[in-house]
Amino acid sequence: MLKFLLKKQIAEVFRSYFYDAKKNKMRSRLAVAGWIVFFVVVMVGVLGGMFTALSLSLCGALAGAGMGWLYFLLMGGIAILLGAFGSVFNTYSGLYLAKDNDLLLSLPIPVKTIMAARLLNVYLMGAMYASVVLLPALIVSWIVMGATAARAICGLLLLLIATLIVLLLSCLLGWVVAKISLRLKNKSFITVLVALVFIAAYYFFYFKANDLIRDLLLNADAYGAKIKGAAYGLYLFGRIGEGSWSATALFLAVTALIAALIWRVMSRSFLKIATSSGSTEKVRYVEKAVKAKNAFRALLGKELGRFTSSANYMLNCGLGVLLIPASGVLLLIKGREICSLLGGVFASRPGAAAVLLCTALFMLSSMNDMAAPSVSLEGRSLWIPQSLPVSPQTVLRAKAAVQLLLTAIPMLFAAVCAALVAEESLAVRLLLVLLPLVYAAFQAMFGSFLGVKMPVLSWTDETAPIKQSGSVAIVIFGGWGFSVVFAGLYLLIGYRLGAALYLSLWTLVYAAAALLLLRWLDVKGSRLFAEL
Amino acid sequence: MLIIEHLTKTYGEKKAVDDLSLHIRPGEIFGFIGHNGAGKSTTLKSAVGILAFDEGRITICGKNLADEPLSCKRDLAYIPDNPDLYEFMSGIKYLNFIADVFGIPADVRQERIRRYADLFELTGDLAQPISAYSHGMKQKLAVISAWLHDPKLIIMDEPFVGLDPKASHLLKEMMREHCDRGGAIFFSTHVLEVAEKLCDKVAIIKQGRLVKVGTMEEVKGDDSLEEVFLELEAE
Repeated sequence: MLKFLLKKQIAEVFRSYFYDAKKNKMRSRLAVAGWIVFFVVVMVGVLGGMFTALSLSLCGALAGAGMGWLYFLLMGGIAILLGAFGSVFNTYSGLYLAKDNDLLLSLPIPVKTIMAARLLNVYLMGAMYASVVLLPALIVSWIVMGATAARAICGLLLLLIATLIVLLLSCLLGWVVAKISLRLKNKSFITVLVALVFIAAYYFFYFKANDLIRDLLLNADAYGAKIKGAAYGLYLFGRIGEGSWSATALFLAVTALIAALIWRVMSRSFLKIATSSGSTEKVRYVEKAVKAKNAFRALLGKELGRFTSSANYMLNCGLGVLLIPASGVLLLIKGREICSLLGGVFASRPGAAAVLLCTALFMLSSMNDMAAPSVSLEGRSLWIPQSLPVSPQTVLRAKAAVQLLLTAIPMLFAAVCAALVAEESLAVRLLLVLLPLVYAAFQAMFGSFLGVKMPVLSWTDETAPIKQSGSVAIVIFGGWGFSVVFAGLYLLIGYRLGAALYLSLWTLVYAAAALLLLRWLDVKGSRLFAEL
Repeated sequence: MLIIEHLTKTYGEKKAVDDLSLHIRPGEIFGFIGHNGAGKSTTLKSAVGILAFDEGRITICGKNLADEPLSCKRDLAYIPDNPDLYEFMSGIKYLNFIADVFGIPADVRQERIRRYADLFELTGDLAQPISAYSHGMKQKLAVISAWLHDPKLIIMDEPFVGLDPKASHLLKEMMREHCDRGGAIFFSTHVLEVAEKLCDKVAIIKQGRLVKVGTMEEVKGDDSLEEVFLELEAE
């Protein structure tokens, strides 16, 4: 039974790779292979490559200083953080909010089996993220430090222990989020707030990573001694990678014990949380004066309502709403320093600072992708917009408009800040404001385009369209790709044109692309939406 | 009010609806019966403009659905077999959303919401999120939203499922009243006793083809609708 349930859940996560919902049939082998290759390239090539580079920079130095354990502790810690960060909200929504909970609970399936299947799914997702860090780290260590049998076996067990810790942390945090959610009124906002604290801490360490690594390498002995003295468990964790059998056995035993404890706590409360609609006080209806809106504004309000009602949606598709203005403030404080630093580094490429500032704003803009899963989120309610007297164009434009509004308004602030600190001509400064806004419009249209082209309507957990759909992956990685091409081309040949002309050309390119996509949405996209 | 001519809809190899023609006139409650998978929901969804069809023509209030979909949709309301509404909205927000889309002035909508919500005893729950509603409450909300813009034609797929006896009775009264005022209702049901008592006309569909249509007397004669239906199914 567990196997069937797990198969059902994994099939749902990767359904879009094998099944074309639009054509209502399985994808061709070639298309499936293409999707899988794309996924592997992103996970192994991009993320794996990034962590291989980090492993290479750390492993030799730390192993040379006899601190191999510190290397494994660091990489294991990053793997656990990334894995837990990637799957904490999966646990909450996948375990407690799955739409088929009632159906499965009504079937003669033990509750523990349902829970185990859901948790195995969370485990596999967390393990995937953690492995992207830890597998390259292990391979690098085997090459640099030598691959003995003990190192190889204990290294693989380290991977198992790390992925189990990811699961335990995800469960614990997911359970806490679930318990809080049952008691709060504005739970989506509070969940977002809590998550943002985690994210802020994550980015703090991310941006400080270079300094921290340099400091660590310079003072490895001192830090090593401190950790050994104050947190011996962490030292033992690192020793697993070095091939210590006793550390491995100890950690396996402790992890298993904690897992059993958490399983017991969760299985006791699973039924209650999964079937509860919340114990918040019932809101009594009081008639108030209403103001009639036109259809477009009504649809826009509906889309904004959907966005703000889901912590999952806000966190996965709307981080830019906060990070874009935050970057504006950062630019006002540190902008001139950053610009002069960039100007110095790229002295032979005049205008590079402005282009790179623009690139940073593009990347932040890519963090807002609420339009991409918007069609999919209609799910079983799709009959509503389809049966109402509103054109598909209006529906799709409202979906795109939400992203445009939530990106362009903060972007205007950030872009003005960028223009203020950039030591460039007036024309370049004006383009520094205009181009990110045009790019935000392009991204909104691009997300809507992919949302209609690759809808996932038959989901039981909203994580599927929000986080695991092809359209969202393409929008995010595509956004990064557009940014890299934009900056790369300038540094390679574009600087010959000068920043003003280069930025003007891209403004035209993105404006034209946005208009073309809007036209596509109005004509072909609308037809596709009506036929869904 | 609603003319369906030679409607054909195919899913892959299977013909879900095959050359079906119906005419629903103002003042008529028109029942549509057939076993599961006979093509009832496909016909209703096609008539509402949700589902594109392969052949045929659908006319609503004299307008071709294919040529003037928005104008046709303004004249009708649809309630699906399962009330999958926007769960993230409260009941009142959903009703106001529907009212906005249909362009109902604020004072008119408030009066109608008050009237229908009181009738269905849903007023106290209008501020609650739809996700907290029971199936029956969602169905009541779907009924209120359908009546909100005073449509000429109401198309419903199994409207009585999930409603309590009181709400069921109320809905039947509202259907009759709507048709007495010159509107028309086209609905599917498996509850043959309801169809027999409520409908002016009835159509029976089997494997996508219309097998019998006419006034209730023409279709059932001296037998019960159930007997006629079972007889036709056995053929």
